[in-house]
Amino acid sequence: MTTAENQLFSSYQRNPLLFDEIYDKDGTIMSIYSELFDLYGEHSIKDYVKLNDKAKASFFNQGITFQVYDKNETKEKIFPFDLFPRIIDPKEWDIIERGAIQRSKALNLFLWDVYHDKKIIKQGIVPMDLIGSSANYLDQMVGIDPPGGIYNHISGTDVIKHNDGQYYVLEDNIRCPSGVSYVICNRTALKRALFGVFNRYKTYSVTNYAENLLDLLETVKPKGVDIPNVVVITPGMFNSAFYEHSYLAKTMGVELVEGRDLFVENDFVYMKTIRGPEKVDVIYRRIDDAFIDPLEFKPDSAIGVPGLFAAYKKGNVTLANAPGTGVADDKAVYTYMPEIIKYYLDEEPILNNVHTYHCSRPDELKYVLEHVHELVIKPVDEAGGYGISIGNKLTKEEIETVKKQVKESPRKYVAQPILSLSVHPTYIDETESFEQRHVDLRTFTVLGKDREFVLKGGLTRVALKKGNLIVNSSQGGGSKDTWVLKE
Amino acid sequence: MLSRVANNLFWMGRYIERSEHIARYLNVNYFSSLDAPNQLSQSRQFVLRSMLFMVGDPEEDESVELDEEKVLYKIGLDPDFPFSIINNVKYARENANSARDLISTELYEAINKFYHFVLNYDADSFVKNGLHDFTVNVAEMTAILRGKMRGTLLHDDIYSIIMMGVNIERSTQIIRMINAKYHDAEKSRGSYGDTFGNSFEWTTLLKCAESYDMMRRFYKKTPTSITTLEFLILNPNCPRSVMNSLNQVYDHIKVLDPSKNYNKTSTAFLVGRVRSEFAYKYIEEIEEDIQSFIENILESLSEIGQKMEKEFFNY
Repeated sequence: MTTAENQLFSSYQRNPLLFDEIYDKDGTIMSIYSELFDLYGEHSIKDYVKLNDKAKASFFNQGITFQVYDKNETKEKIFPFDLFPRIIDPKEWDIIERGAIQRSKALNLFLWDVYHDKKIIKQGIVPMDLIGSSANYLDQMVGIDPPGGIYNHISGTDVIKHNDGQYYVLEDNIRCPSGVSYVICNRTALKRALFGVFNRYKTYSVTNYAENLLDLLETVKPKGVDIPNVVVITPGMFNSAFYEHSYLAKTMGVELVEGRDLFVENDFVYMKTIRGPEKVDVIYRRIDDAFIDPLEFKPDSAIGVPGLFAAYKKGNVTLANAPGTGVADDKAVYTYMPEIIKYYLDEEPILNNVHTYHCSRPDELKYVLEHVHELVIKPVDEAGGYGISIGNKLTKEEIETVKKQVKESPRKYVAQPILSLSVHPTYIDETESFEQRHVDLRTFTVLGKDREFVLKGGLTRVALKKGNLIVNSSQGGGSKDTWVLKE
Repeated sequence: MLSRVANNLFWMGRYIERSEHIARYLNVNYFSSLDAPNQLSQSRQFVLRSMLFMVGDPEEDESVELDEEKVLYKIGLDPDFPFSIINNVKYARENANSARDLISTELYEAINKFYHFVLNYDADSFVKNGLHDFTVNVAEMTAILRGKMRGTLLHDDIYSIIMMGVNIERSTQIIRMINAKYHDAEKSRGSYGDTFGNSFEWTTLLKCAESYDMMRRFYKKTPTSITTLEFLILNPNCPRSVMNSLNQVYDHIKVLDPSKNYNKTSTAFLVGRVRSEFAYKYIEEIEEDIQSFIENILESLSEIGQKMEKEFFNY
């Protein structure tokens, strides 16, 4: 079937400057997509709209929604989902998977070092300033040995495909990376709507995440515990990721607790059950460092557990991820990843790093200030896509404002060349047709004691606004089911 | 199970059950009044007052002329009236939300669908011509929820907590209905030869409790005050009777508190005591003073709820 014959794609406009994942350079459909392309092409746009509405209703009825914070109200919204899946070739996936494990392990060793001997700094591989000035460095973690030696149990590595066909890491999220529940929901929704397409492809399942997560969390239990009692802690049902927290607790078969359900006595942690206190050994926490314990961190935190950190320090409870991991998912640390991997693992990085300019270095700052229009300027410690400026989208005045901000606190910013994220055909409601939209991929890696797991699949996030490069759900991003093919 | 979550599940059960009883009460009263045998029972004012009485917001002033659309809106879809059906469903879903990890996807999805159905129901068409459609749907959806509870949950502590909530609420609502209809039968006494004992209101009451057909099968006679009350209060085989609910509460409290010799301050002890009292009651005894019987049973049920709160929800 050619594009012109395909009912769904006949009006698909291909911008030759963009790297479209389903077409090759000559404009023919890539072989892994050809069968999918034909199968979808059998539908008219009208049928497709119906399927799309059904998929939406399925998300709504399942209550798979997230909350958006507006000025004075919170709204419940469906996570926008696209029915045309993204396919990843087994060879490419192999690189992504090995690369994600490599980075997670290197970051884990880096964290150990940072909170113990600081050899990497003493040997001058990374500057002291990198840690000293990081808001996410926790003095309290110095000298603490987390159970099983793991800091970043769960890592979310964000990768993109550049127009050279190679994958680049955009960032490593090792505080509380979210989104994994949507990977599974997307798969469920696609299966419900278009089950036939799965017969033609051999795709890895994504439903084994929870059992692997639980297995690996059990390997990092505190000393002296036989069968650990694992719980997930959430800030509560008004948190934007509450669905995910409850999903993970449910599929792992463990309790979902809030801070007020736990208490600490003699440096052990207990939860309040209908039959009295029950000891807790491993806590998968979805609360930021600052809020976990009002006695140690933010004193006005109402969602944490007083005394939790003292119990952790004694080694009586495991926190996943460990407090203080944020120091390593800082965007400034990212720029040293090739050096960090080399130093701890004596390996070359498997996944590419995007070249980064440090505004803290005078010569690089000078370059950044002169080239704002062709760079992405990012604050080093903001999450969720906030505070990012994309040079070629800014007006003259905005460029001046950015320059001023960077000059005022250079340590707070890094800059990278504007990468051309690959695009993927995405159904757009307003025009009732497929259009090219930029995508990235969040992968999920779990580290346990001597064992690791990467979810074969991931969250392909789509920037739904035309030309937009920011894919976060809080910024109007959607997502796609992502298939990793078996060999 | 966490105490906080247990509390939420208990109330989830209660709110689901409550919304169903209110919906059925609206439906049966409204539609059976249309061709009621006496004028008072047929009067719209009489029916609207009965509805408000049942949801616990009686209009005391006899001279006030009630507006049908306003009353229906208030009880059905008014987000500012705490006892409205829409609020009951909202609270049920909120409680389910906080325990999503413990209940089955099937049950949660059904609650969520129920919530969206009520939330999106057009208020204007509800008060004008949607009463039947809306209330029948609410009753059906709650029946589905009951099926999902029984058929998809593990029958463990969690199930028992929910069923405690369901049954305590069911008996409370049945008693409230009995109270409202007792009140109506008193009021309509004597109009067109209607006596209290043979009042048309007893038939309505049985229909409100979805027990009319089975009652006819059991007694083979037109319902009277004494047979109706006996059936709805004491008959252990009538699934809506107070006795039946108490038996279930008793079974479920044993799951939560398996000790053989109950501490006399425990919920299980209280439940057993209240249940035994009913098991050996006879209807003539109750009929002597229905009003104080109703007050007593409502008090016992609320005492059970409070005891549970203290024992299980407030570690």
